Amino acid sequence: MNRDPNNAPRIEVRDLVVKYGDATAVDGVEFAIAPGELVTLLGPSGCGKTTTLRAIAGLETPSGGTIRLNSQTVYSGPERKNIPAEKRGVSMVFQSYAIWPHMTVFENVAYGLNVRKMPKAEVASNVARVLDMVQMQAYADRPSSKLSGGQQQRVAVARAIAFSPNVVLFDEPLSNLDAKLRAEMRVELRELQRRLDITSLYVTHDQEEALAISDRVIVMNGGKIEQIGSPEDIYDRPASHFVADFVGSANMIPGKVTGEGPNGTLAFETQGGAQLRIARPADARVQGTVIALRSAYIHFGQTSGAQNGVAGTIHRRMFHGDFIQYVVDWPAGQLIVRRPPTELFDEGSTVMLSFDPTHCVLL
Amino acid sequence: MRIPGVQTWIMMLLLLVCGALVLYPLAFLIVESVNVGDPQIFPPEEYGLGNYANLYEDSRVITNTLLVACISTVFAVIFGFIQAWILTRTAIPGRERLERLMELPYYMTPLIGALAWGVLLGPKTGLLNQLWRATGIDSDAFNIYTPWGIAWVMALFEGTVAFVMISASMKSMDPSLEESSRVLGASKLRTMLKITIPLVTPGILSATIFVFAEMLGSFAAAFVLGIPGRFYVVTTSIWQATLSYPPDYGRAAALGLSLFGAMVLTLGAARLIMRHGTYTTITGKAFRPRPMDIGAMKYPLMALAWGYIFVAVVLPLAALTLTSFQQFATVIIPQMKFTLANYETAVQMGSLGPAFINSMTLGISVATIGVPIIGIMAWIIYRSTMPGRIVMEYVAMVPAAVPRLVFGLGLLWAWINIPIPLYGTLWLLGIAYFTVFLPLGLRTIAGVVLQVDKSLEECARVCGASWTHQMRTVTLPLLRPGLIAAWLLLFIASVRELGASVFLMGPHSKVIGPSIVNSWLTASSELSAAMALIQTVLVFIAVAIMFRVARRIGGATE
Repeated sequence: MNRDPNNAPRIEVRDLVVKYGDATAVDGVEFAIAPGELVTLLGPSGCGKTTTLRAIAGLETPSGGTIRLNSQTVYSGPERKNIPAEKRGVSMVFQSYAIWPHMTVFENVAYGLNVRKMPKAEVASNVARVLDMVQMQAYADRPSSKLSGGQQQRVAVARAIAFSPNVVLFDEPLSNLDAKLRAEMRVELRELQRRLDITSLYVTHDQEEALAISDRVIVMNGGKIEQIGSPEDIYDRPASHFVADFVGSANMIPGKVTGEGPNGTLAFETQGGAQLRIARPADARVQGTVIALRSAYIHFGQTSGAQNGVAGTIHRRMFHGDFIQYVVDWPAGQLIVRRPPTELFDEGSTVMLSFDPTHCVLL
Repeated sequence: MRIPGVQTWIMMLLLLVCGALVLYPLAFLIVESVNVGDPQIFPPEEYGLGNYANLYEDSRVITNTLLVACISTVFAVIFGFIQAWILTRTAIPGRERLERLMELPYYMTPLIGALAWGVLLGPKTGLLNQLWRATGIDSDAFNIYTPWGIAWVMALFEGTVAFVMISASMKSMDPSLEESSRVLGASKLRTMLKITIPLVTPGILSATIFVFAEMLGSFAAAFVLGIPGRFYVVTTSIWQATLSYPPDYGRAAALGLSLFGAMVLTLGAARLIMRHGTYTTITGKAFRPRPMDIGAMKYPLMALAWGYIFVAVVLPLAALTLTSFQQFATVIIPQMKFTLANYETAVQMGSLGPAFINSMTLGISVATIGVPIIGIMAWIIYRSTMPGRIVMEYVAMVPAAVPRLVFGLGLLWAWINIPIPLYGTLWLLGIAYFTVFLPLGLRTIAGVVLQVDKSLEECARVCGASWTHQMRTVTLPLLRPGLIAAWLLLFIASVRELGASVFLMGPHSKVIGPSIVNSWLTASSELSAAMALIQTVLVFIAVAIMFRVARRIGGATE
């Protein structure tokens, strides 16, 4: 990924606050997005992610802070500056697709170009080019009200990129598609974004989608940012209880740090008395009373010396197809473990739970 | 500034103009109601509450009004409920057609209903009474020139309104609510008592209150059927007070304002019930509830449903048609004499021909000018975030609570006392129509505005379109079917308007509604019948066009 520090950010949000009456939807959000980057705003509904996106588009009036697009200030609370949506030059894909039912596919896609008073021939060639990119060239003359959900989605993307914006905002663009189509479109969107080098801010509540598609993920909760990081960062080193819980499947194991362990680890005693070795947090000041342990990082079977090993009993087995989810009784209560479908154990059997100290994140 | 200038200026202008149109006549009414000096002089020389004190003497009129309103509301709601239940919940054949026909009584207007029922059930000479007497009984089956008669005619008309409101609440009920009751073991009857009725109660209640408020301000039926028997309600008393010599404007204004107050209270109550009483079943999503299988019961139910259409539409129209071809007002069945003279008179007679032309002109221009203005207002009220939009909504909805007759009275003074010579011209009628039909137009267009997904417009802005460009290329084309429907509704409402026109029509600005009334008062009922039929046909043609256009546009955008 191109992260040249000399490259000024395309989107820069500082101390953004959006209020609806007394309720604060977005509370002091700050981030910057580099050219060509795809960043996801991830969080549960009502966390302020869509409001943030709409404030950047100019569809929502913030109560304070600054928003800069392509180094131009488009909103500034202190300067009382607010450039209307149509002058911001960003593009957006809406959750409902917002395909105009009274226009053909061609007219929909050409809209942004016609607004910019582009000559007819150029409009035609540009529309053809982007429809080709989304494999909708055969549908150009169709009335757009006769399209399926997936086709509307493609037209919405084509329309958003047709006037060659360098910033595109995506508001949960895949949430109305069925699971299989969603997985396909995810790949296609990422391809398109890479190919055209479009700086993208992408809102979703689907953590799997966020991890799969993004260069960086911003996890939001209650109008505030919980963590910003690469998908791997977010998954392996969640910064808060909320992130560990919301992204992926994690076990929260309460207990306390009892001292130093071997090889630079810390010793941790769970409730119920299991002794574990855990990774030393990067920030030495963390005085956690709970560790997060991903259910995919727990193995059954022999333990090497450096790993934690605790005996447990399989309480319940649920077959999910791509994985098997076990509920295992162990000294600290119950543990969720996900194993590939090849590792089949019966309910009631005793297993050795083993996991690496580096996967035990003290929170 | 966040809001582009154009938008703000348009809103300020609309708010100012509509505010003036709505509130200025009301202000006049209020001033006049406390005028205890010479009622002809403005501004008043003496102020006092005498006119309101006199309301006490009018208590007979007020009880009359309440009596008629109560009787007709009960009947209208019963009609509406039965029709709504049959047409939404049972599997009778031809439901769709019946549902469409249910709109017809509404287009008939109470004036035409009253004229027709006068022909059918007038004492001694009424056609039905003649048939009744032919059986050998020496009395009338029913005298329509009584409070019950007025209530009957109004109930047939308002029954459609109640039907629309009640069937809407029945349709918006998720069928799974009833199904889960059945699955949990409740019988059909228990489900009906415990689930269905509680869920539709708010709909019935608000329909009742809404219909009651409309009845309070209704004029035509009480006028045609009440005056001959010297039975006065508030609206007809107002009419009488202004035509007596010397005109008692103070009394008229006080009566009118009391009526306004009563309507504000009842409509406010209806709104409250709508807002707090309805359950979350009203999601805007229209369910088609699984119709109940009723077996052999479907024949009596079908008869009932068609019976309403027959009594409310077919019978009155047939009676009017018969009368309109008669030579003499009193049709003695064995001695009928057919003639076309009434139609010739209606078309040729000096003042009547122009009345038709005037009404058409007014209908077309009020609709053409009104729709774009109301359309922009609807957009501002329901879509924009401008601070004045709530005020604007209230201002625009005020005329809904003012009886049109009272509004006409206010406009009369307002424009007599202003140096602009509008009184007695079509302009004044046009202004009056626009003002009194603001709520109708707004409600119609709002329904469409709210259906258009907001992101369709936002997307245009993000694509770089300015507000005006967005309105032109996205909003207006999407609203087109709704705007056309609103145009035709405004046209129909204007063509058949009576209440406001009664006071505002001048010798050179005659319109159909009051002309029918005048010919009924001064000339003959067979001539009025001919005119009423012509008006009805005009309205039906407009309705037919409306449906055709709506279907074509609906088909094209789907």
